[in-house]
Amino acid sequence: MTGAAVSQLDEVEARSRELLAEQQGAVWRRTDRMFAGLMLAQWVVGIGVAWLISPLTWAGKTSAVHIHVQAAIFLGGAITSVPVLLAFARPGWIVTRHVIAGAEMLLAALLIHLTGGRIETHFLIFGALAFMAMYRDWTVFVPATLVVGVDHLLRQIYWPESVFGIVAPEWWRWLEHAFYVVFEDAFLIASCVISTREMMALSRRQAELEDSQFRAQEKSAELDLALEALKHSQEDLVRNEKLAAVGKLAASVGHELRNPLAAIQSAHAYIAKKVGDGGQAASDPRVGQFFGVVQRELNACSRIISDLLDFAREKKPDLRPCPLRALAEEAISIVPARAGVSVTNEVPSSLPVPAIDKNQFRQVLVNLIQNAVEAVPDDRAGRVTVSATGGDGVPWRIAVTDNGMGIPEENLRNIFQPLFTTKTKGTGLGLAVVAGMVERHGGRIGVESKEGEGTEFFIELPTPASSLASGLENAAGATRTAGRG
Amino acid sequence: MSRTRILLVDDEESLRITLAANLELEGYEVVEAGSGEEALRLAETEAFDLVLSDIRMPGMNGVDLFRALKARRPMVPCILMSAFSLEELVASALSEGVFTLLSKPFDIQAALAVLTKAARGPVVLVVDDTPADAETTASLFKAVGLKATAVFSGPEALQAIIEGDVDVCVVDLVMPGMSGAEFIEECRKQRPEVAVIVVSGYSVPELLRATETQVFTSFQKPVPPDQLIRAVAQARAPAKS
Repeated sequence: MTGAAVSQLDEVEARSRELLAEQQGAVWRRTDRMFAGLMLAQWVVGIGVAWLISPLTWAGKTSAVHIHVQAAIFLGGAITSVPVLLAFARPGWIVTRHVIAGAEMLLAALLIHLTGGRIETHFLIFGALAFMAMYRDWTVFVPATLVVGVDHLLRQIYWPESVFGIVAPEWWRWLEHAFYVVFEDAFLIASCVISTREMMALSRRQAELEDSQFRAQEKSAELDLALEALKHSQEDLVRNEKLAAVGKLAASVGHELRNPLAAIQSAHAYIAKKVGDGGQAASDPRVGQFFGVVQRELNACSRIISDLLDFAREKKPDLRPCPLRALAEEAISIVPARAGVSVTNEVPSSLPVPAIDKNQFRQVLVNLIQNAVEAVPDDRAGRVTVSATGGDGVPWRIAVTDNGMGIPEENLRNIFQPLFTTKTKGTGLGLAVVAGMVERHGGRIGVESKEGEGTEFFIELPTPASSLASGLENAAGATRTAGRG
Repeated sequence: MSRTRILLVDDEESLRITLAANLELEGYEVVEAGSGEEALRLAETEAFDLVLSDIRMPGMNGVDLFRALKARRPMVPCILMSAFSLEELVASALSEGVFTLLSKPFDIQAALAVLTKAARGPVVLVVDDTPADAETTASLFKAVGLKATAVFSGPEALQAIIEGDVDVCVVDLVMPGMSGAEFIEECRKQRPEVAVIVVSGYSVPELLRATETQVFTSFQKPVPPDQLIRAVAQARAPAKS
């Protein structure tokens, strides 16, 4: 057993003793007060008894208060005063209760005397002893028993009628009385010892309870500290991860900007030389062409920056009714056409109108269509279609499908992750931006792909209760496809 | 003298056409290729004096193209361009005999100067008082298609620098006759455009400190060959503005 455990046990033991002392003190004080009241009552009763039995005595012609009444008042008062004073001045003190025990027996002896040694009055002794058991302290029976024994012995010798009510009791009469007292003592002492033991057990249990509560509090305080530390290190971790992500993002975007910047720098160098040569700039068709290059590459730069900003700034969608077919048409017109790839708008014109953020969803469609167009290999006639279903309580499903080269299984999992790209150019932000926008619409984006055969990106949006009226765009419900070369 | 023919390879049309125009303006003859594969096809049938290629391209990348060309014509200098400067791919290519790396975006005038120099085919001068060491180091450069000459003393080296077309000098710091530090100082005075790379047989901190500001980088022997070759390629890159 460790030293700490030993001291812990000692602590519990000490605390249980403290609790026992507290409890005993309370019992003792309470019983002291009870006896004080009891003894005062007995004093008054004794005076009353004396008054009733022999109030006045005639000595010749003089009538005086009988000596018994005086005894009851003064002797009784004397016997009562000391313990009562102690009970109020020093309640709980061991001397107090021992004095009370002895005095109570003396008071009983006085009452026995005042009633002329009636044997029934002796019951007061037994009753008083039983009350003393309330102290739960067996030692009080020692002075009580001694006082009873000595009183009986002395009075048997000098004044037998005072105690036994007869002039010549048997010589052993005091012993018989003493025996009954000791007999009762035996049970009362046993009960005191047992109840003290029970109190001790109770105190120990409480001490243990307190100890375990304290320990639990300590442990929970430790846990709180540990939790705090954990939170801090987690915050550090998140911060570091964020920094790493920002670093990666900066590197990706920075590198991506270098290509258009290199072209712009190169074009600028050429134009600057031509301008410097004096008048040659106007006649050189390349100057005009290179101004176009600068324009195009500057657009590329701003597109990269926009992607980054779209990704960084999580703009809340501004939901308004927006017919999907027209939006798809717009998106298709934005994506640069590629030879050999046709983009078809298969969104039914009779489709109900969802509430979406038009600008965000146009960008979603542009990104998806652009990816689809780029996914078609050179040697294939590309077909990209935009389709949509849903409305009137049915969830929306918008899909962009291509017959391109498909996406390998291992890439599908990461495809919506920021900075993930398989293109030689691109920030890897496009699909992450798209996914973020769809999610902020409360929808979800998914992808199905077969390598070599094609890919379908689909967006699922929940239908709000306030679904808008259907067929706004074309009441006749005729479908029309728009092809692009 | 016929014009220098440059094979320019980049999938980015914007940079390719503008760079080609700039090169033509400088008097070069430029043949453009939009991919590594196309460049390789052209190289099969035509001869070029210099190859300038982007690294990141769909299909065959610039490093693979460089390796394929190196196998066919080891002495044709090749310059790579990249927007991504920290790739392992780039590092290994530099130790395989790429003339140098142009980090996009680059200053056109500085890049043209580097191209002109590459087309000329400058020499790496190896200066070491131990002839065997000098020859071994020079042969490392020759093995990857770079021109190199070995000399064994300071005065000899100075003469070579003044007379020959040297752009990088690999110098052993401890030499008899003229100390490495003296040589470097003299070299910087005579030909400040020559980059100096220092190697030393043992630790000579005071010498290294004395020459620190004048040299491109320094090594302690034995120097891993790939690191030395890469250092030469890096020394040839245009200075960052």
